[in-house]
Amino acid sequence: MKKAVKDPKNITFALIAVILVCMPLLYTAGLLKSTMVIFLGKCIAFAIVAIGLDIIWGYTGILSLGHGLYFALGAYGMGMYLKMQATGGRITDFMQVGGLTKLPAIWKPFLSLPASILMIILVPALLAGVIGYFSFKNRIKGVYFSIITQALTWAAYSLFIALSPYTNGNVGITEIQSLVGSVKGKANGGNLMVLFYAALVLLVLIYALSCFLLSTKLGKILIAIQDGENRTYFSGYCVSRYKNFVYILSAVFAAIAGAVFVNFNGSITPTQMTISYSVTMVIWVAVGGRGTLVGAVIGAFLINLCEYNLSSGSLVEIWQYVIGILFTLTVLFFKSGIVGVISEKAAALRRKKKMKEAEA
Amino acid sequence: MNENVLEIKNVSVVFDGFRALTEVSVNVKRNTIHFFIGPNGAGKTTLLDIICGKTKKTYGKVAFFSKDDQEYVLTDMKEYKIVGVGVGRKFQVPSVFKNLSVFDNMELSLKGNKGVWASITHRPTREELDSINETLELVGLADRKDVLAGALAHGEKQWLEIAMQLVQKPDLIMLDEPAAGMGKPETFKTGDILKSIKDRCTIIVVEHDMDFVKQVADTVTVLHEGRVLMEGSIDDVLADETVKSVYLGRGGERDA
Repeated sequence: MKKAVKDPKNITFALIAVILVCMPLLYTAGLLKSTMVIFLGKCIAFAIVAIGLDIIWGYTGILSLGHGLYFALGAYGMGMYLKMQATGGRITDFMQVGGLTKLPAIWKPFLSLPASILMIILVPALLAGVIGYFSFKNRIKGVYFSIITQALTWAAYSLFIALSPYTNGNVGITEIQSLVGSVKGKANGGNLMVLFYAALVLLVLIYALSCFLLSTKLGKILIAIQDGENRTYFSGYCVSRYKNFVYILSAVFAAIAGAVFVNFNGSITPTQMTISYSVTMVIWVAVGGRGTLVGAVIGAFLINLCEYNLSSGSLVEIWQYVIGILFTLTVLFFKSGIVGVISEKAAALRRKKKMKEAEA
Repeated sequence: MNENVLEIKNVSVVFDGFRALTEVSVNVKRNTIHFFIGPNGAGKTTLLDIICGKTKKTYGKVAFFSKDDQEYVLTDMKEYKIVGVGVGRKFQVPSVFKNLSVFDNMELSLKGNKGVWASITHRPTREELDSINETLELVGLADRKDVLAGALAHGEKQWLEIAMQLVQKPDLIMLDEPAAGMGKPETFKTGDILKSIKDRCTIIVVEHDMDFVKQVADTVTVLHEGRVLMEGSIDDVLADETVKSVYLGRGGERDA
């Protein structure tokens, strides 16, 4: 426990959390626009999915390029509940346009909040469980697994567009308010604060849970799997079960992130299900520093903040190139990302200091 | 109790028409150090692969008898289950988990429930910690507990891997070239380690270094082109004319 408190990575995370706590206060003081707070709320969601990706990629070494799928599933689940709140449980416009006369059965669970939350967690968990079971049991790994996750994400994307009477196709689920009501404008500042703090609490809980899991023997086994999968089998561990467990865990984190995201975003479209969106998530983790947890959080905030500030005006067209170059540079020269580089430098400094002390 | 810990019966392995092993039958006696030697390509590593479940046999059967005299047909089992019944394997290339500390490497190797849930809830018990410390002491790595395994010297990695096998308290451990890349003093120390653990478990070794074989072997089986050429004590084997011709006939490989 003491060790956890002293860990510089956890201190950094605590610092980020404290800064985030201050944001709505700055907003009430009139120093920050509500759009900025909403944007930071989305970043919190991104940080949650990044933590999940870091566990599966940074620690276990499985590169999933399809976590946008689980993110979107969670977001759609929450979006469907919020839509039902907006229509008062009645059939929506797009369903009528699509020729439906009754609320489809798939929408029924989203009439109640507990059932919706259950669906938000269970559906992605089940899907990830099935995909993971077959992939890992057949020992599909490396780039082959990445390609499979991509293909499935693409398939789901097409499916969501094709099933437009149920999903509103390309347009997605729009005209919804958050769980606590509208967060737009000055008048709803209170709602925004409640929502923001709720999201922040979720982020802290998920970070703490992840830290705990990684501190147990499970964490060591995950690193062992990345180090040598065969060796782990020969140490008596059924690696495929462990892989499936972290795959499901990260999928659930992604779904929770999606559910948080939709509250701030006020809509969900299949764009969040595209491959490029999934790859972007991986870039957050890579740039922040894989295998560190806090790196994933930093990466998610940093890259999105850059995008938010830079992609206005003329930069919007070249933003994708900027992020592509950033990713390439990270992979080529700073494999361990921001957090990795800093902790290496800090370790080197400490060594130097020790040497000097030894000399003196 | 069956005096054999392992009975290999008529095992053949064919890879795409290439016969890696042909009707190999060997019995391995309990609490002995049993060597498999032979020129490159004789099928030594393939035989270990068969026993630990990494490669599937084409014909034949490998039966393993645990301390409680239970019979397990290893050729029908998954590799992680084979580990569970008490058969450990050290690979040719040192394969420790390099991003984990020496201690963590040992902890992962402990016997016990290897399920996902157990891995989250289980903390090492006093006994398990003692057993880790004792085993590390045995191989001389007790003061390197917190070092990342990747930072160990080559010989130390080999010893760590032997220790990882031992801490599982196996009935049988298989070591593929444990002295590869070691200097004479290190090889000798490895031999001493093996002799000191013989009373706890049976040890199967694949090795080229004849001095090492002389130092520790109880029984030696010579393999040649996938078949058993002969079996006996090291002196018998070294005196045998066919064995000599097999080694010398291939250009006097190594100093064997």
